[in-house]
Amino acid sequence: MAHHEKLIKDLEKKADQIRRDCFEIFGSTQMGHAGGTMSIIELITALYFHHMKFDPKNVDWPERDRLVLSKAHCCEAIYAALVELGVYPRKTLGTYYCFGSPFQGHADRWCTPGIDYSGGSLGQGLSFAIGMALAEKMKSVVKDVNIGQGGFLQRYVVRFDPLYRSYCILGDGECHEGMVWEAAMFAAKYKLDNLIAIIDYNKFSLDGPTNEIMNVEPLVEKWKSFGWWVTEVDGHDFRQILDALELASKLYGDYRPKCIIAHTIKGHGIPAWEREHIHLGRGAVIMKGIEEGRKKYADI
Amino acid sequence: MPTFNKYVQIEDKPSMVPAGLEKAITAAAAKDTRIIAVLEDMGFPGMLWFKQNYPERMIECGIAEQNAAVMAAGLAAEGFIPIINSFLFADVGRAYNQIRQSILVDRFNVKFIGREGAWGEPGISHNTIEGIGSTRPLPNLVILNPADAVEAEKAAEAMLQYVGPVLLRQESSPPPIKIFSDDLPFDIGKAFSLKEGRDATIIATGYMLTEAVRALDILEKDGLNVGLLDMCTLKPLDDEAIIKAAEKTGAIVTAENGTVIGGLGDGVAAVLAENLPTPMVKIGIEDEFSQSGKMSPKDELKEHFGLRPEDIAVSVKECIAKKEKLSKKRK
Repeated sequence: MAHHEKLIKDLEKKADQIRRDCFEIFGSTQMGHAGGTMSIIELITALYFHHMKFDPKNVDWPERDRLVLSKAHCCEAIYAALVELGVYPRKTLGTYYCFGSPFQGHADRWCTPGIDYSGGSLGQGLSFAIGMALAEKMKSVVKDVNIGQGGFLQRYVVRFDPLYRSYCILGDGECHEGMVWEAAMFAAKYKLDNLIAIIDYNKFSLDGPTNEIMNVEPLVEKWKSFGWWVTEVDGHDFRQILDALELASKLYGDYRPKCIIAHTIKGHGIPAWEREHIHLGRGAVIMKGIEEGRKKYADI
Repeated sequence: MPTFNKYVQIEDKPSMVPAGLEKAITAAAAKDTRIIAVLEDMGFPGMLWFKQNYPERMIECGIAEQNAAVMAAGLAAEGFIPIINSFLFADVGRAYNQIRQSILVDRFNVKFIGREGAWGEPGISHNTIEGIGSTRPLPNLVILNPADAVEAEKAAEAMLQYVGPVLLRQESSPPPIKIFSDDLPFDIGKAFSLKEGRDATIIATGYMLTEAVRALDILEKDGLNVGLLDMCTLKPLDDEAIIKAAEKTGAIVTAENGTVIGGLGDGVAAVLAENLPTPMVKIGIEDEFSQSGKMSPKDELKEHFGLRPEDIAVSVKECIAKKEKLSKKRK
């Protein structure tokens, strides 16, 4: 699919701005989950600024697309996106980690309107996104008084588009969690084709290379064998990201949950962070990365 | 026979908690299409009814409790009222952190029915006793523990009307007797006084209310006037009723079908320690696991754990002795 060059350029610019906002967030506390945040910047940008149905003026819009950030420690990227969308004022960036701030250390739906899921304990987000996807299917049944035996599974395919889609971003290390695979089985059983999981495959988790800690490969074959539609993209290339998201959305009605495996780089774009495969950075290494990043992504 | 409150109609016939749950849940689900049965391959109160009437509102998750809990949270976030049913060690114990993180943090309207208690043949794995103690510290969770079919029905109705996470504990126990009349008033967080007393008060929850009622007979024959308070809501505890009972009788005995660590007894003790230090005896399972045991012809576990009416009567007398010793000291 050919995307308008201007769209790609605009998204790239937006991603740079989100990175700069993240530097502000990290700088305010000299701390942050810099590596995993940098690896999902393009994904978050593509979702919030182009692909998802999201109304910044009405964040509880019932028909908005849901986004569950299962790797909720990287919520800095969403905070930055929400600031760019005007949901929160710019000065909120400096309140990260502060008592009473809407920008908590881990994403918190209760105190941050605009966030769909309170996470932090890994592996749970996909199940939550599944609940929301299942609810989308069930809502169409509840409205219809009498559809008789057989239930919703036969009915929903006639609809052209779901009321909303449910997106979930998982980390690769999260796939170590057993319940991710409970969820994978469940989504296939209930034919949740309105569900799109995106795996941020940045190849590193806290202790070292993800696949040395516990091999998640063969990842594509795993999801496929669970009954999912799977595709792979370069998670920093907007053309590929948009192609995959659009295809996954168009395939609605094929009874399959969708999985996009996004190959990314931990700490993407910032040499100091890329070198160290930084997870939760503090002090000097954070400040060094911010210094490099501010130069590289200067607003020109 | 002691004289009871007007809502008490004791009949010595089995009054099963699951029957009450089924009645309340199917009645509510017939009216409210938001109510969803979430199964974990362990049955469901009213399973047949759901199958016949609303198969699309029965979500079978298989033996995967962690996914079931968080998936239910997602459903609740969209306005549904999912009810999860299994053994407590599975639907709550297996998914403890999932419940904390994905349900309680955001106060999602998910209901849990958890089967547990010291009695039964399955033994150490299924007859868990730590359910109350392990869930009471969790913020935003309401815990109910009904004593007979009537109270179970009322508790389940209240659970479905209340907006927020609730754990309803369905006890593994011998059959409780019918205790309450059908028009029993029920409020979450309110203890129900079956009988006011003078010498001591028994505060019981769940099945142990049956044993406590039997104990009152023995105590009355011994010339003691003992009160009985039913603590169906284990969280939030009815502090006021506890303090009132302590003021009135000055001796409190708690009885629960679970570990004495962190359960009803400890909850009551904490309330009294802070407000009105009162002599107490806690009846329950001491710090050990349960095991297999037959309930008839002789209830082996009841005897082993000391949960018989005569055991309660001994504890009440022990507590009254403590009270008298204390009052002598104070004089």
